[in-house]
Amino acid sequence: MKYSYFPGCSMESTAKSYRLATEYVMGRIGIELIEIKDWNCCGATSGHALNELLGLALPARSLAIAEREEPELDIVTGCASCYARLRHAMHKARTDNASRYNIEKTIEEPYGAKREVYNFLDILTSEAAKTAIRENVTGGLRGLKVACYYGCLNVRPAEVTGAPDRENPQAMDEIVALAGADPVDWAFKTECCGAAHQNDAASVTRPLVWRILKNAQANGAEAVVTACPMCNLNLEMRQDGYTKKTGGKAIPVFSVSELLAVAMGASAGRIALEAHHVPAAKVLASALRRHGEGFAI
Amino acid sequence: MQSEKQKEQKEKLDELLRKADVRQYDCYQCGKCTGGCPMAHAMDLKPRGVMRCTQIGSLERIVKSNTIWLCTGCHTCVERCPHDVNIPNLIEEARYLAAEMGYVRRDSKILNEVFLANIRMFGRNHEMLLAGLYNMLSLKPLQDMPTVPHMLTHKLIGVLPHQTKNTAGINRMIARAEKFSSMRPAGK
Ligand code: SF4
Ligand code: SF4
Repeated sequence: MKYSYFPGCSMESTAKSYRLATEYVMGRIGIELIEIKDWNCCGATSGHALNELLGLALPARSLAIAEREEPELDIVTGCASCYARLRHAMHKARTDNASRYNIEKTIEEPYGAKREVYNFLDILTSEAAKTAIRENVTGGLRGLKVACYYGCLNVRPAEVTGAPDRENPQAMDEIVALAGADPVDWAFKTECCGAAHQNDAASVTRPLVWRILKNAQANGAEAVVTACPMCNLNLEMRQDGYTKKTGGKAIPVFSVSELLAVAMGASAGRIALEAHHVPAAKVLASALRRHGEGFAI
Repeated sequence: MQSEKQKEQKEKLDELLRKADVRQYDCYQCGKCTGGCPMAHAMDLKPRGVMRCTQIGSLERIVKSNTIWLCTGCHTCVERCPHDVNIPNLIEEARYLAAEMGYVRRDSKILNEVFLANIRMFGRNHEMLLAGLYNMLSLKPLQDMPTVPHMLTHKLIGVLPHQTKNTAGINRMIARAEKFSSMRPAGK
């Protein structure tokens, strides 16, 4: 399988281990990602806070380039915010002629919105991908209890994402189970992490992160798994107050790609697991060791 | 008799509702939106209150609320609303209107402007530059800074940002978006 790939800004900096793990996993299961030529920021979240048309034009520019360069390929991204902005532009261009006209005039290029926009969860749960994952996983993560955190924008708004279940989605649970891990039932799968307001309204958004982590741990999770670099950053980097103010226990947070990569035998160094703020390698290594595998950390 | 001011408010409110594609009487004030809103604890006008204000014609309370700046756009409210009232759409339109009317939350404005400056320069969003500039301008120099040494050691942030080559095109696009949006066709 081949897709046009929109990495998004976080993938180039803070989400280093997510990026390396994604490259590793996609390579192993035979999914080719072709980076969109000269892509630009999708605008999340200030683009549409400032100006509606700019909020549509920013993602549409990259989509139009993708459709021009690779007209046969659908588009995929690993970031929930990018996914929402890209899909929103696609949806608007498809359903509202006036908007499409304005978008095309703004980006100075036709945008037909002919191809679909997917997130990693969509493409990893295709039958072909699931078979390939099964074939490549060694099964060593058995017994590792994880809470699958989807966040808002991988599932909402329903008319844009088309997600079948917005309160208790299953795609990531299915994927981590294929990797041998044990997804727990919990209540905060799609609760908001505060997104960019962790910057401009920090004191009132930090508790959003803490209650997510608390619920994950109350339901037995040893780690939280994400499908978005921004969710991951918020849940991981904002744990300070959780441990200091509420007496919570730090909990590793890593992406679904990292979990898959380790289950497929990638070493900690290969995917830069050491780059996590809250150590992630230890919990994965000890899960592997329970089955006589494991890597040095 | 309605005063001129009330009439003007009513017209603006009707236009706001039309642009947001929200009908105020779809809302029957059940409160599920507020119940699920992750930011309700910090809002001075809760999501249900926003809808109540549209019903009683109080545009002013909406545009002056902190709600429109604190909403994260998570869409939990509309997902759970029995009548599919699209509150985030309404809030987004209200934010544009509030900005036009001169009611802007300072910290949001700083973040949005720093963000746009970033896009103009690089075509991409350079996260730590964004956070750093925001902190300086909003006088919160220490926010998130304890994590910087870790990020530098592990090369999570670099000195030279990755960037879009065609930044001239990006700047033209921003200028056009600003120009055209003033003549955006009303409604859907
Ligand atoms: S959930 Fe819907 S109907 Fe109920 S108060 Fe909120 S907007 Fe009104
Ligand atoms: S979209 Fe805004 S108002 Fe609605 S639940 Fe989320 S934060 Fe609250």
